[in-house]
Amino acid sequence: MFEFIVGHYNYWMYVGLMMIGFYAMMAKRNLIKKIIGMNIFQSAIILFYISTSVKRGDVTVPILEHAHDGHGAHAVDIMQYANPLPHVLMLTAIVVMVATLGVAVAVTIMIYRSYQTLEEDEIIMSIRRG
Amino acid sequence: MKILSLITAVLVGAVLIYGTLDMPKWGDPHSPANTHVSPYYLHHSLEHMATPNVVTSVLADYRGYDTLGETTVIFTAGMACILLLRAGRKRRGKDDV
Repeated sequence: MFEFIVGHYNYWMYVGLMMIGFYAMMAKRNLIKKIIGMNIFQSAIILFYISTSVKRGDVTVPILEHAHDGHGAHAVDIMQYANPLPHVLMLTAIVVMVATLGVAVAVTIMIYRSYQTLEEDEIIMSIRRG
Repeated sequence: MKILSLITAVLVGAVLIYGTLDMPKWGDPHSPANTHVSPYYLHHSLEHMATPNVVTSVLADYRGYDTLGETTVIFTAGMACILLLRAGRKRRGKDDV
């Protein structure tokens, strides 16, 4: 039981972080706070993926050692290097995260210029008033 | 409304935690993610690409088209930001006139 908790509590941390972001996206009325919640959500997903690439033991980053010492290709011990694929996929996800953040902040600036407020309910009231 | 959001977040979190119970243990070298395709890249990266950094060789060579598409995403986002912000400035200028 204790071993199970030690092996799995990192996932529960990411779920907690993700739900903090999810709650912020749903419940906060300020648009900037919603965007911050979206970023916390995405960061939790990135942490989750990176945690799947961890290998316990004598493991380093996935940069092959002795690659250029002139002996050519030789056998690689995969237990010596962390899993490179989650790192690559999360590089892509970070790029998408930055792109969504940029467009979201630009749209928020436009909303502020039109309505002089970032509070969602005030914007809705001002739309209903015409 | 806030109570409803809190209940939704807690429910979704509970479902996700129920899902993590079947996940492999943290740092397990024999988990499916660490044994399915990633050994192929670690074994063949040097012979195919002569790049010791496996992350670089996967990002720029094996998944090169994906990275090309990624630069399109960045370009589109940058163009969207520029067009949005410049359109706002122009409209305000017209109002001043």
